[in-house]
This record gives sequence, C-alpha cells and structure tokens, in this order.
Amino acid sequence: MAKSPAQTPDAVDVRQSVAKAEQSLYASVLAIRGRHEIERLGIAFYDAETTLQWSYNADLAFHAASTMKLAVLLAVFRQYTRGELTLDEPVHVRNKFVSIYDRKPYMLDINRDTEGEIYDHLGRTMSVKQLAYYMITCSSNFATNLLVDVVGVPVIQTALDELKIDGIRVLRGVEDHGAFEAGLNNEVTANGLLKLLRLVAEGKAYGEEASAQMREILLDQRYKSGIPAGLPQAARVAHKTGNISTVHHDAGIVYLEGRKPYVLVILTQFSSETGRTTAVADVSRDIYECLAGMNGG
Amino acid sequence: MAETETESGLKIVDAFDLEPDLRALLRPGELVEGIGGQYHHLPRYFYEIPSHEAARQIRVTPHFGLNEFLLVDLKEAARIRAFPRYVPCAIRILAFYLERLREATGAPVHLAVNGGYRSPAHKLSVAATPHMWATAADVYKIGTVVLRERASIETYNRLIEDLTDDLYVMPYGHEIGKADDHIHVDLGYVSIVPREISEDRLEGPQPRPRFAYEERRRGDRRGWPREPLPEVLPAAAHGSPSGHDK
Repeated sequence: MAKSPAQTPDAVDVRQSVAKAEQSLYASVLAIRGRHEIERLGIAFYDAETTLQWSYNADLAFHAASTMKLAVLLAVFRQYTRGELTLDEPVHVRNKFVSIYDRKPYMLDINRDTEGEIYDHLGRTMSVKQLAYYMITCSSNFATNLLVDVVGVPVIQTALDELKIDGIRVLRGVEDHGAFEAGLNNEVTANGLLKLLRLVAEGKAYGEEASAQMREILLDQRYKSGIPAGLPQAARVAHKTGNISTVHHDAGIVYLEGRKPYVLVILTQFSSETGRTTAVADVSRDIYECLAGMNGG
Repeated sequence: MAETETESGLKIVDAFDLEPDLRALLRPGELVEGIGGQYHHLPRYFYEIPSHEAARQIRVTPHFGLNEFLLVDLKEAARIRAFPRYVPCAIRILAFYLERLREATGAPVHLAVNGGYRSPAHKLSVAATPHMWATAADVYKIGTVVLRERASIETYNRLIEDLTDDLYVMPYGHEIGKADDHIHVDLGYVSIVPREISEDRLEGPQPRPRFAYEERRRGDRRGWPREPLPEVLPAAAHGSPSGHDK
C-alpha cells in the first residue's frame, strides 16, 4: 500500500511516483476514450489512502441521468436530520407527476418488470426509507419522482448549496419529457459528484449517522457493470449508476481490504445510442491498477 | 364541553374544545373558498378515534372500516395523523353511499391513500374540497380492476350516476377538476350537527348538552330496563339497537 507523503521517508520518491501515475493514467484514459469512441469523458477521483486527487474534464457538465438520485438521497437525509421528515413516514405510491415545463400532469411508463416491488404497491404506501432504497439500488424512476415530490426540488438545491457542492444542478424528477424537449435537464460534473460522495464517505453529509445510512443504501447497488466491473471481486462499492441512451455514468466509493477508500466518478457520453459498453469499467480498472502500481502491487 | 359517546364507542367532540394546535389545523366553522369561488363553513363536530386499533376494528358500514377513510400519507399534517384522530361526523353518510356503490358493483371498493378525509392542513387541501368535510372519496380499485384506464373509469362513473343523484362524480380527464387514475365521488359540503347542539351560539364552545343516546347507552351499561316496543313491531326488532356499527 502506498503511504501518504507525510509518512514517507523520501518525499521525492513519492512525488515522482505520483507524477508517473498521473502521466500513465492520462495516457490510458486517452486510449480508452479512443477505443470506445467516447464523445465526452469526465473523470474525478480522490484516494483517501494516498490523498491523491486526479481529474480529467472534471468540470464538464453532463446530462445527469440517474446520478441525480444521489442529490435526492442527500436531500432526504437533510430533511431527516433536521427532523422535518422521518424515514418511516408513509408516501402514497401514485403514478402521477407534474411537468416543470408546462405544469401538465404526466405518468411514468411503468410495469412490474421495471419497477418490481414499487409497482406492486401502486395505490398504497411505502416508507420514505423504502423508496430511498429502491431509488438507489434499483435506480427506480418511480421512487425517485415520489421522493422529489416529498422533499421538493428547492430543498434538493438547498442541500447541495449548504454542503457547497458545485456542479450538480437538479431541476426536476425523471422522465419529464416536456422538460427534456425544452432542454430543462439535470446536470452533473465529475467534480460535483466527487464532492458529494467524499462528504458521504467521510461522514460529513449531515453527520456520521446520516452518511452511514446513505453508504449502507449505496452499497446495496444492484447494477454492477460500471465501476465494480473493473475491480477485484472482493471490492465493495457504494455507488450510483446513470444510464440513458447516449450517456453511461457511475459514481461511487470504493472499499478495498486493508486501505482507506477512494471515491471515483466516471461520466461518459457517446455520439449515438450505445448498448452495453465497458468504457466505465475499463476506466475503473485503470485507476485501480494505477493505485495498485503506486502501492508496489 | 360538547363531548359524547356514540354506539360505536366513539366520542363526538366539538372541535372548539380541542387543544389549540389541533383546533388551528381543523379550523372548525371557518369559511373556506372553493375553486368556483363559493364559500363553505368547515365542519365543527368530529368523531374522536382513540387508537389505530379502534380505527381498524370499527366498521362504519358492513363493508367499510373507519380506517379506510383515514388513509393518508405525509401530505397530511403529522399532528392530524397522530392518535387520537378526528374525522367529521358526516363520514357516516359517505360510508352509507359507498356501501350502496359496493352493492351495485358487487365487488370491494378500495379507497386511495389521501382519498378519504383530508384535514384543511393536508397539502392537497388547496381549496374547499369535500374531502375536508369527509364527504368525498377517491376510489382507485373496484374488485380487481385498478382504475387507470378511461374505459373503466367512465364505466363506473356511469354506474354511479345511474345509482343516485346525490353523488357528484368527477369526469375522466387529465386537467384539474377531472380524474384519470381514480374515481372521485362526493356529496358536497355536508356538515352534521348533533341534534342536541343549539346553533344559536356556534361561534364558541358551549356547555355540554345531554345527548339522548348517551343516556340510553349509559342505561344499557348499567342494565336499566328499556321501554318495551309497541306490539305492532315484529319481535325481531327488539334486538340490538345498533345494527350497522357492529
């Protein structure tokens, strides 16, 4: 394992090692970008073990896709820690939402396959915590919109502002096609998501208890073809993916045995619709190998 | 204090006698403006439901439990959701009509969450809706039919319109004042004033009146003999005086 500069007897060696790692990372990221024909790529990571921070186009704004659900999760726990919401409060599971564009009602295109348990609760209630769990672990759009209604878009933005998280803009829930056509979209940058996840990892997102509960939910993520696919099997990742037609993102906290975690955000955008892509996993693997190389592994 | 106990074991309370925080949420007697610009006085007399268990056990009609009218989510004020809970006395009339609807459809009628009584503090109570009088119901499912399609909603709407002129049925549609994922029925703005209440002093609490059925129940509890019914009635009518509450 690499040690932090303060613990290393020879600071010059460390600086050289970091510079070499950064150079190597940059080259391999460019190679991945070319190989996968990625139109836009944003990466940011911070390693708590080595304190190494590295980024590539980290302030470039992307369509957030489902990574915006991290901001919704943050807002839910803001309200919880302020006593304005309890996690077991019931929420009516109703498929009816209002577009931010023209205030017209719209419904999500849902079925049992895409929404599973939530679909089965139509017309009844689920708790805030259950919805938060499905919003993250199954990336449920239905749960997300219900929670956006519960906390409200202004509170989501307030949470981001309070924690000084720049680079995440949440305007609306998901599948608001009227707003999409009008260009009103949620946006993220790699640096924005990195800041959010660092706070969660370090117990600074509305306190250690709230942060721990968020990490617990994120660790149960069911979609593992992004960051986890580039890591050894034993790695645990608290993360949130985001996939729509031309974008494939993943943002998470990586826990490896015997070292502090690192936070990694990979945002990709393609010129045309892509099916399954291993681009995010490839970047994840490169970063893992780079850190392992610095550790002499 | 206007407070008494009904056959179902529920007390009737004058909302002016409630704690100030509850009174502020229920706003008894206050004028509220409807969407069409009409004003209506909010209900003043409520049933007090002591516990979740009581709400679950008490039947308002043979097929409708009291709890079905109290299903709300976090859009309702937390204080209103806490027991003891309060529901306007007109709930009985609504339940009577829903029971008729159930008979007509021959299938269970399911009320939606937030589809029964909503207090004036409920986030969906943006204007005077009969839900605030406990005289409106949103039905999301009849039998196994989840009411999400135009065809099913309009079919049942027609059935209800043919059943009674007393119920207003919201037409199918996506706009405000229409419904596309439930059936909305209501009886308008009906308030029940217990017969023992004098309405010449409605602006504030009054001394507790003597309620006739309170005396009767007290007598029953103590085993006092009751007046025999006239001979013209069949013997079966001498049984329990409170058929539909059991």
